[in-house]
Amino acid sequence: LFYMLYLTNVKHVLCFQRVALLVASDIDALCACKILQALFHCDQVQYTLVPVTGWQDLGTAFLEHKEQFRYFVLINCGANVDLLEMLQPDDDSVFFICDTHRPVDVVNVYNETQIKLLIKQDDDLGVPPYDDIFRDEDDEEGGDSGNESDEGSEPSGKRRRFDEVLFCRGSVCHVQYEYHGTSASMMFFELAWVLTKDTKDMLWWAVIGLTDQWVHDKITHMKYVTDIATMQRHVSRHNHRNEDEENSLSIDCMRISFEYDLRLTLYQHWSLYESICNSCYTSCNFKLWTLNGQKKLQEFLADMGLPLKQVRQKFNSMDMSIKENLRDVIEESSNKYGLKDIRIQTFGVHFGFKNRFLASDMVHATAALLESTEKDESDSDNFIKALDSLSRSNLERLHSGIELAKRKLMAIQQTVASCICTNLILSQGPFLYCYLMEGTPDVKLFSKPIALTLVTLSLMVFFDVEKGTVIVVGIPPESETSDKKNFFGRAFEKAAESTSSRTLHDNFDTSIIELKTDDRSKFLDALITLLS
Amino acid sequence: MFPYIFIGLSQAEKSTMPTKNVVEERISKFKNKGKDPAKLREKRISVCVELRKAHKDESFLKRRNITLSSLPDEEALDYISNDMVAVLPLDEIIKDVNSDCKESQTRGCQAARKLLSQERNPPMKEIIDAGLLSRFVSFLGMDDEPTLQFEAAWALTNIASGTTWHTQQVVEHGAVPAFIALLASPMLHISEQAVWALGNIAGDGAAYRDILIECNVIPALLARICPDTPVGYLRNLTWTLSNLCRNKNPFPPLSAVMQVLPSLIQLLHLGDKDILSDACWAISYLSDGDNDRIDVVVKTGIVSRLVELMSHEELSVMTPALRSIGNIVSGSDLQTQAAVDAGVLKVLPQLMRHSKASVQKEATWALSNIAAGPCRQIQQLITCGLLPPLVEQLRNGDFKTQREAVWAVTNFTSGGTVEQVVHLVQSGALEAIINLLQVKDTKVILVILDAINNIFMAAEKLGETEKLSLLVEELGGLDRIEMLQNHDNETVYQAARTLIEKYFSDDDVVGVKVDSTDDSFVFKTSDVQRTFEF
Repeated sequence: LFYMLYLTNVKHVLCFQRVALLVASDIDALCACKILQALFHCDQVQYTLVPVTGWQDLGTAFLEHKEQFRYFVLINCGANVDLLEMLQPDDDSVFFICDTHRPVDVVNVYNETQIKLLIKQDDDLGVPPYDDIFRDEDDEEGGDSGNESDEGSEPSGKRRRFDEVLFCRGSVCHVQYEYHGTSASMMFFELAWVLTKDTKDMLWWAVIGLTDQWVHDKITHMKYVTDIATMQRHVSRHNHRNEDEENSLSIDCMRISFEYDLRLTLYQHWSLYESICNSCYTSCNFKLWTLNGQKKLQEFLADMGLPLKQVRQKFNSMDMSIKENLRDVIEESSNKYGLKDIRIQTFGVHFGFKNRFLASDMVHATAALLESTEKDESDSDNFIKALDSLSRSNLERLHSGIELAKRKLMAIQQTVASCICTNLILSQGPFLYCYLMEGTPDVKLFSKPIALTLVTLSLMVFFDVEKGTVIVVGIPPESETSDKKNFFGRAFEKAAESTSSRTLHDNFDTSIIELKTDDRSKFLDALITLLS
Repeated sequence: MFPYIFIGLSQAEKSTMPTKNVVEERISKFKNKGKDPAKLREKRISVCVELRKAHKDESFLKRRNITLSSLPDEEALDYISNDMVAVLPLDEIIKDVNSDCKESQTRGCQAARKLLSQERNPPMKEIIDAGLLSRFVSFLGMDDEPTLQFEAAWALTNIASGTTWHTQQVVEHGAVPAFIALLASPMLHISEQAVWALGNIAGDGAAYRDILIECNVIPALLARICPDTPVGYLRNLTWTLSNLCRNKNPFPPLSAVMQVLPSLIQLLHLGDKDILSDACWAISYLSDGDNDRIDVVVKTGIVSRLVELMSHEELSVMTPALRSIGNIVSGSDLQTQAAVDAGVLKVLPQLMRHSKASVQKEATWALSNIAAGPCRQIQQLITCGLLPPLVEQLRNGDFKTQREAVWAVTNFTSGGTVEQVVHLVQSGALEAIINLLQVKDTKVILVILDAINNIFMAAEKLGETEKLSLLVEELGGLDRIEMLQNHDNETVYQAARTLIEKYFSDDDVVGVKVDSTDDSFVFKTSDVQRTFEF
């Protein structure tokens, strides 16, 4: 149905025009942005970079720039709403959208004049065929514009009752579950590759973007493994191309390598012990918040035969002899303790001699910078810092990000532990929910639900912010077969609608909303009914 | 060189958004006052019924239902939420449904319902052909098997949602009395499913609607309205009631209308937008008839509530409310006055400036009908500031709205007093309609020529024809009217010629002497305003 269309004329228009680059606040978007910036750089395209954190932000950014710009590039935002309806742009504004949010709004898909979607050919769009959506609309009376068929037109004489009583509305009702498609940075990398402008830096950013999707649980394991394989082909191509250089390691060289590495967060920049304690994979599997879990951890360490002293000291300072076959040792013991997936296919990078990072390290560090809650830092400061940390010329920033990430991970673990131990997680029948009170460690919440999902089946997290509102995050059930499709967005919308709760659906992910604290209980009640 | 490549999406052949070819189902025709002053107003003729019929053979996308709140039964929720219902092949479904074992029947019925609820290609015909309908209908009566009742009701609902043929199959298997009996079920979700099914049957057309009414469906439905009926249930019920009010040729029997109306009025005072929308549509169907039909609606005293709902923030409520009021003001002067008294003229300006063109058009249509009233109503129209939005529409509205606006001008000029007509011209309406003489639509041209003629008749009464002639010429009207003498259409040619002969014969066109001694009615010619004044 969909095929790639090379819009070569775009190069002509972009050549003479400045481009507005609107980038969402997630790591994949940052990486995609880096790649695009590099591409723009080689072709001397002028652009203005605008970080956007939500729909409102996007709207404001557009208003501010619509006079000067005709061309807007949106990264990881914009695909899942009817953009033209929302922004009301002039007829000559053109939007290039590279967004992983699915499903793509049908109106965006079938508008080709103003909306150009950058989407992989074989990516499932979750959009019904054109005919299914637009056929028979002339049956109905009234509405003059195609996207308002439901509003104000005479009701249909007959109605079929569908299965999903819950989430359907209007005739365009494929929008049920929210999920993510191929990472934006991979898309841009492949673009660069097609243009033969790809560099190792770009490749690394694409790897980070993909890893972000995995770390933050946006794609299925299957998808991750498939995409990793794609990236691996690119990596070997690059390594092959530079074979000579590889042998001569220099201080400023960069080498990307495929790894089958441990699922222990930041362990190479921490101590092994702390990493095990604060990685959600291990901590959740051991249930480290229990005494039993702690005991099991000790047994585990003993089983590996690693001296506690070694385990607790900085990884860098561990004995070489231990480090040498550490991964095998850990894997062997892990298998005994039921941690069957302790090793995961990923990539690592060497900058010069000294600095080695795993892709997931980069993700955690950059995410920590991006959502830093340091005082006096605005969102855009954080954005720039996070963006900087992705450049290999700015390792210091990266290291500061790693430190921040460690603090964040520890806070997450503590929060998880205290929630569980103090029974803050309540079962509401159809879902579990947890309300984090003010005064719990002041960590930005966004990554928390990710850690928490691993503990629970299906969960909503409320998190208090200062202005009398709570942020609500919905996470789909975690299971072996989880397809990472999130239905909470829809449910939130319905629950809010039926109770007329005051909510703000500003996040690009619809499963994250802001809600007036006072409306919390009625919202919850509605949600329970809805999801029953 | 700049080899940027963006990847877009392309769909063969479909390069633009579809422009909805909305067939103008509403043709507003007005009889000219000159010809038949008593019956100036005319109803819109609803083509939509025929249209809907024409499309019956295709399965249109049905509106989906969102009435969760009305399914309070734990038991019911079980089936809906969990996906435990097995997907069985059709032959197994047939075997199960036809078996004597209750469990098998339930399983088969559920599986069939599941198939019929899938989004794509529900196998309606296959299930009918397999002869399952009579089984389903018999399940409806099994009061001791609520699960089976519910599943069968759902399955039949979905089959009845198909084409007329599908609905016919359901009715002919005796579903109507069974569903009406089921309305009284103590299980709310089962009763609601029956409401839904009956709505589909009523929605098929006048014939089945009247069969349902014959079977006393209305009292059975109304009995379910009580203060603690869940809102979702009420939504379905309102929709079903609206279908019982719907369709013409013939209209629903008056006795049935009288039965439904009090409850509709009650529903119109609720806050839920879906209920309001469907109740308003019901009123719009009921008021879409001759003056006797309109009278029944007006007598309920609902007009002021309807006017209030014309300002509702939801388009889905505002549109049918506007339609209803539009119907009412197409009635007798007395009926129109009821709407005027309820304040419709205060709401219309904002609706004529609404962002949606279809709303502007309907509002202008309503205005044109009020303009067709006695001069007292025309005066109220002026007082409430309707002329500026009217002229705006004449100038910049989309064509359908302009057409209504032109009708408004013609009606106004034929019923208004001389002073009122002068006021209209001063508001810029003459200039605007002269500009519209360039349009292709013959009917519109004729209506405009009528209006110009009416304005001249007013000028004649003032003895100001010469000044008006000069004004029309200055506004470029003479050129256009002369051009129309070459029009293909005989009537247009005649009308244009008559105007020219009457008011623009050569010897008349001399310089206008402004009569400075007489300070009564004077048409001035070369003002900035370029309109005529007293």
